[in-house]
Amino acid sequence: MSNSKIDIVSIVESKLKDKVQIQLGQLGNAAVNTSNGLHRDVVKVMLEADEKTAIVAITGLDLGANLGLLYHLRTSNAFITIRAEVPKDNPKIQTIVDLIPGAAFSELEVADLLGVVFEGNPSSGHFLLSEQWPEGIFPLRKDVKANEVKLNPPPPEGARTPEIGRQVKIIIGPQHPALLEPEKFAVTVDGEIVTKVEPRLGYVHRGIEKASESRTYLQDVYLVERICGICNACHAYGFVGTVEKILKTDVPPRAKYLRVVTLELNRLHSHLLTLGHAGLEIGYETLFQYFWRDREPIMDLIELTSGNRVYSSLMTVGGVRRDIRDTDIPRIKTTLEELRKKLPFYRQIYTNEASIKARMQNVGVLSRSDAIKLGMVGPVARASGYDIDVRKDEPYEAYGEIPFKEIVYTEGDTWARMNVRMDEVEESINIIDYALDHLPTGPFRIDAPRNVPIGEAVCRLEAPRGELFYYIKSNGTANPDRVKVRTPTFANLPSFLKTAIGESIADVPPNFVSLDPCFSCTDR
Amino acid sequence: MIDFTLIFRILVFPGFTFILLLTLFCDWVERKIEARIQNRVGPLVAGPAGILQPLADLIKLLTKEDIEPRDAKKTVFKIAPILAFAFMVFALCFVPIDGASVLSTTGFNGDLIVILTFSTIASFLLFLSGWASCNPYGTISSARVLTQFLGYDIPLFLFALTPAFIAGTLSIFKIASIQTIPFIILAPWAFVLFIITMQAELEKDPFDVPDAESELVGGLETEFTGAKLAFLHLTRDVQIVFGSALVVELFLGGPYGPVFFGLPAFWYTLWFVLKLLAVVVLTEYITTLFARLRIDQVLSANWKIVLPASILSLMLTVALVTWVYPLVVL
Amino acid sequence: MTNTTTWARVKSPWVLHFNSGACNGCDIEIVALLTPKYDVERFGVKLEPSPRHADVLLVTGCVTQQCAERLKRIYDQMPQPKFVVAIGACACSGGVFDGNYNVVGGVDKVIPVTAYIPGCPPRPEAILDGVVKLLNALNPPKQKKQKQLEPPKETKPVVSEPEVIVPSQEAKPVIEETKTNVKQ
Repeated sequence: MSNSKIDIVSIVESKLKDKVQIQLGQLGNAAVNTSNGLHRDVVKVMLEADEKTAIVAITGLDLGANLGLLYHLRTSNAFITIRAEVPKDNPKIQTIVDLIPGAAFSELEVADLLGVVFEGNPSSGHFLLSEQWPEGIFPLRKDVKANEVKLNPPPPEGARTPEIGRQVKIIIGPQHPALLEPEKFAVTVDGEIVTKVEPRLGYVHRGIEKASESRTYLQDVYLVERICGICNACHAYGFVGTVEKILKTDVPPRAKYLRVVTLELNRLHSHLLTLGHAGLEIGYETLFQYFWRDREPIMDLIELTSGNRVYSSLMTVGGVRRDIRDTDIPRIKTTLEELRKKLPFYRQIYTNEASIKARMQNVGVLSRSDAIKLGMVGPVARASGYDIDVRKDEPYEAYGEIPFKEIVYTEGDTWARMNVRMDEVEESINIIDYALDHLPTGPFRIDAPRNVPIGEAVCRLEAPRGELFYYIKSNGTANPDRVKVRTPTFANLPSFLKTAIGESIADVPPNFVSLDPCFSCTDR
Repeated sequence: MIDFTLIFRILVFPGFTFILLLTLFCDWVERKIEARIQNRVGPLVAGPAGILQPLADLIKLLTKEDIEPRDAKKTVFKIAPILAFAFMVFALCFVPIDGASVLSTTGFNGDLIVILTFSTIASFLLFLSGWASCNPYGTISSARVLTQFLGYDIPLFLFALTPAFIAGTLSIFKIASIQTIPFIILAPWAFVLFIITMQAELEKDPFDVPDAESELVGGLETEFTGAKLAFLHLTRDVQIVFGSALVVELFLGGPYGPVFFGLPAFWYTLWFVLKLLAVVVLTEYITTLFARLRIDQVLSANWKIVLPASILSLMLTVALVTWVYPLVVL
Repeated sequence: MTNTTTWARVKSPWVLHFNSGACNGCDIEIVALLTPKYDVERFGVKLEPSPRHADVLLVTGCVTQQCAERLKRIYDQMPQPKFVVAIGACACSGGVFDGNYNVVGGVDKVIPVTAYIPGCPPRPEAILDGVVKLLNALNPPKQKKQKQLEPPKETKPVVSEPEVIVPSQEAKPVIEETKTNVKQ
């Protein structure tokens, strides 16, 4: 790959040397400190140098007199953070949505939770918070006490006007069989064709980022784990991994392999869940039942290794909480072997079954360039031919030592996304097999220091749904100063909003489920 | 005396009560088969092997609170479900079950057309009930019901004409009784296509677009509660029994079969129920083994494949009846 | 007649699942209940898409500000007799999220709850046990002892096993809000 040779840091340095400060090795490969307005120039330079430049997240910080903004950007081979600051009493900054369309949601979130005004971003209204949330109070600011916010009274329910004409607005959610989670999508249809999709997020917004600021690091591991019940091990690892980066501790090799096993078991059960759920969305209930039947042994394995069916709670700062018994390893391997034997049958269904092809092929097609521009991650990006997998790009834990294939399809439709997951199930089994065969001996945990020094760090990992991003800032006390989580669904959602337009209303559920949406992740 | 027999025939056997129980039984068979294919057990605790599950569902729905939404078109909303159910049961009354139909022992020429019309009216009433609930999901779902049954009614009628042509009559009673060789052997292509069309007409997978749960919540039933919902469910179930009964009468030789001893009516009923169950099992297999198609795919399948096939089938039948069958069988 | 009705109600509980701000853990366990290993259809349980069809409302997760009103409306849309089961620690009391700025608290802050099933998340067997216990509480022998309990407003969950409180079986007068359409 020619792209991998781009040295984005020196390009930025050469072009904007006198205007920005570059701190190498901080918050990824480098942190670029900018003053007012210059963050756009840095983004422009990066976009010119590397077409794969995409936004990962925008972190808003309360720095006392100022509000800090961290633009986390990913290029083909580097991770760059741009710092900007705005005064608290006049928190205005230029938007970057016109440069990177994928930043739209991130900007809305910062605007809603921290009160930064992005000039040029056309959206208004609450993004995550309730409609009754009082004006001018921003929960992530330090002076806002979680319990003392008084909501406005609910507006009186107005008389509904009957919808007339061909354009009918269908509300999907908050309670809807296609969504396991409450989230609202107002879909306008003309006949059967979707003309507009308006999302309303925040139904599962529980304020976890704020809550983690008032709990200790140890408590936070369990709190962030409960961001999502499906990819819980990934969230726990994201937090623990970031704290370990601030502490600069290195976990023992056995712990690295055990973490890989836990994360891959998590991916296995999540992918089987989605593959089955997709069957439910296209009215293929038998497929759903079969997948979930074969998912149960994986749940048993999670219980075997961690003691709990859903929340493994295995990750802890300095390693893992429990070792795998040697006597359990054969059982894990036989269970996985049984699953492996069933895979050809499922793959054959997903690739050849006529009614699945009729419902999934050419549905929700996302081109490679759009996938890059909108900042897609995970299986959605890989199905569009955009080879991004944190396990390969920036190996963490033992992934650098374990051979595995990166699954990439080029069709970019729902069918390709499901097939990426189908193939990844097999890769996950291979990874677990390899990890168990090459399990190093030695301790599975070290005593990490309890006191976290002042510092900040970012951590990226490949959750089942894609790249999961954690940012933690510590202030030397027992509690973190700021915890920022950017979840894969948050990044992938724009794909659905873009591809649903112009397709049939019947294509909305399969297109939607092909993102493997997780709103408890998205809203936090 | 004759009056009492007629009343008994209408109300108990083979009329209303029998049809109702048969419907509930078929519902149970369907749920059990679906569950078994999906590696589950299915209803188990209500009665032996869960056989009373549909009855429990029915009683529960009948005793629940009945809510009328503020926006609903009240009269249609109230009447349409029960009327649809009534039309379906009425249509089944013309089908010979124990060797004779419920109302008249021999039927009349043209009753095949009458019962197909009744089932169309029932589908239309289902559409009306969805429309009257004034719910976006219900409205879209009932629009789909209308598009689908208008499309598939034509090929269904044409396929039903195939056995009628071979038998040379439009009386369902005569079509059934004339089959010394079941028409499934004489016209197997028509049987296969009739089953597929029936699947679409009954809105079962892969053609169940009107109640696509993932898009339309409860479909046209979304707003219905209590007794009205019970009647909507019953209408659907009776439709399935009706469709299967039609297949039995037109292609499988109706209720007729060997009589070993005693009353022929008993044996005829037995053969009818067994053949009916065979058809129900077959259609349920198809239902569980396919994903749901999209409405445009369902419609283009109709206009591009099923409708031309039905015309071809009719032409083939006419040719065979005129030139081939007289030489071979009849 | 009452016996038959009770029998039918016990044997045919149709459930509606509403996530009022859960982390997916409990929700996935509820869906797992439908699948071959647990198969709740044995007990006649069916997951219904519309509140109009449901007898039992399964609520998971702490109630967030946006969901509170929605939850109440869904409860109002259900026909009598209806029961509410709070599944998981968050639904029982707010759990780990209690006190956050966007969280109202447990389900019983918004609607009356009939049974609590604690756990994070409760195992599918525990959910099954809770629902079956709730339904068996409807049976006539226990009905005689019933002291016309109103659905409790502020009962706190018992930690160890599902607690079942039988509400009045008499249908309450339909409140006006019941008549709004299932729109959203």
